[in-house]
Amino acid sequence: MSLSAIIVMIVSIIALWGVASYALIVSMRQEERKLALLQSQDDFEPYSPRAFRDLEQWLAQHSDSEHAPEVREWQQAQRQSLQRNPQRFYEWSHADDDARGAS
Amino acid sequence: MTTTISREQWGSRFGYLMAVVGAMVGAGNIWRMPYVTGENGGGAFLIAYFLLLYLIAVPGLMGETSLGRYTRQGLIGTFRKLYGNNRLVGLGLVILIFNIVLMSYYSSIVGWSIYYAFHAVIGTFTQADFDTAALWQAFSGNTALNVGMHSVAMLLVTGILLFGIKGGIERLAKWMMPILTIALIAIAIRGVTLPGAMAGLEFSFSPNWAYLARGETWLAALGQALFSTGLGWGIALTYGSYLGRNDDIPLGGGVFTAIGNTSFGLLAIFAVFPIVFAFDISPSSGAELAFVALANAFGSMTGGYLWALLFFMGFFFANLTTAIAITEVGVTTYREERNTNRTKAVLTICGIIWLLGIPSAMNANILGYLDFVIGNWGLPLSTFIIMITIGWKFDAQRLRVVSLNRGADIYVPRVWELVVRYQIPAIMLGIMAYFLYTNLGQTPWKTVSGLAILTLMIPLCMWVMGRRHDMPYTATSKGGPSS
Repeated sequence: MSLSAIIVMIVSIIALWGVASYALIVSMRQEERKLALLQSQDDFEPYSPRAFRDLEQWLAQHSDSEHAPEVREWQQAQRQSLQRNPQRFYEWSHADDDARGAS
Repeated sequence: MTTTISREQWGSRFGYLMAVVGAMVGAGNIWRMPYVTGENGGGAFLIAYFLLLYLIAVPGLMGETSLGRYTRQGLIGTFRKLYGNNRLVGLGLVILIFNIVLMSYYSSIVGWSIYYAFHAVIGTFTQADFDTAALWQAFSGNTALNVGMHSVAMLLVTGILLFGIKGGIERLAKWMMPILTIALIAIAIRGVTLPGAMAGLEFSFSPNWAYLARGETWLAALGQALFSTGLGWGIALTYGSYLGRNDDIPLGGGVFTAIGNTSFGLLAIFAVFPIVFAFDISPSSGAELAFVALANAFGSMTGGYLWALLFFMGFFFANLTTAIAITEVGVTTYREERNTNRTKAVLTICGIIWLLGIPSAMNANILGYLDFVIGNWGLPLSTFIIMITIGWKFDAQRLRVVSLNRGADIYVPRVWELVVRYQIPAIMLGIMAYFLYTNLGQTPWKTVSGLAILTLMIPLCMWVMGRRHDMPYTATSKGGPSS
């Protein structure tokens, strides 16, 4: 086999089977963490700090939208979860916690 | 009045991931991808393919799964939730009909794979002086046998779907996908150790960079990336509707599904082409490759019984998990729309597919015609409708913020919205226009008649759903993220 074919073959294996295996392992581990949190505290925060910032930004920009009540409901649920639960699923810095009033 | 029935959920993360990747891994991964790769510049094709996979299939599958998880409804229920109870719900019916027609002829392919798996079990291919071409010709020409195998395929699909999402689809996929992986790895190891096998890998992987400048290479890569991943057919939406509200979608439903599916295509390259080249078989694709060339090669190999068994059982598993997924789109929708139990929905949808599939089982030309119409325009149109619905009707930004990034293992940035709103719909329109341009000159009757049927189907479906507008709507499961 030519060197270029060998390189393409190896890169393909890494880009496909490597990524797929990594995604499967990470996904399964994260699920285990979610299940552990559900068993220990019945709940965990559904949004990461960045995702929650997006949610709040969306609400600020679409406060009159017909969908705003639903999004507010999720914002409230996230805040309550952060205040109620000592353990987090996502990594939150102190600055994030302070900004959400959840410390 | 709106009634609510409980909605089943996937029993485990592994089960969902295996079911969804099993839905996407089908005949195309095994008998088409190796040939398409080799014919389009090898490594150059793979680079184009990877790019399109990450730019289109991964974000598209994220959106479709996320929409299903949000609405927690099947196809028509999702469209009704988004468009209101009016004629535009007919767009969901259009996609549903494409799925049913697709399954009506895919069932014949499942039947072929059952037939060959059976012959692998009884050791037909390793008999002395056995002629695989004669077997394929005899099988192809036997109408009753083809209808019989189509019926067996639909009976199997019916039986599995009767056990439900968790007890049927998930339980099956949890076993079949790992077995398929092991089978292909074993064949690949055997294949690459055959004398002359390296030429097969050279054919598949050797990069011919000039191909990257050819439009045909990118179109072939686009076709493989779209059709192999099943983007926009309603499968990801249906499977997503059975996810829990805090389950991850971007990593599992997006990255793993698209990349995992393609990984099976890569494994097929290792499993198929070393054997093809080792036995000096002309590289090809489709039924000719699997049922004649490879069957013949297995018969000539040491331990050929085992390799034929592994290959044809694996091929059967790949086709069966896909068939189940395509049929489940109809079952979920019918169950919700008719507010009926699962047993009745499964029997009705499978019965309809079985009846519709008989002409395709009897006549390969009908199968070819349906595949031509559905493959060239039906499925791209489905993807176009679903992506427009996500990007513009639902609003891609709202879906990303509310649903896609909820419980996500990876964060999906704003650029995703542009992909779903503009990029994928534009590519779908382009691909349909290209297929029209290329086929009109070569097969004008097929092209015009196929397009006429599709064009009439849209207003007809909208009319049908418009007629139901005045009827009282009874939702059958809770929708929205609060459920």
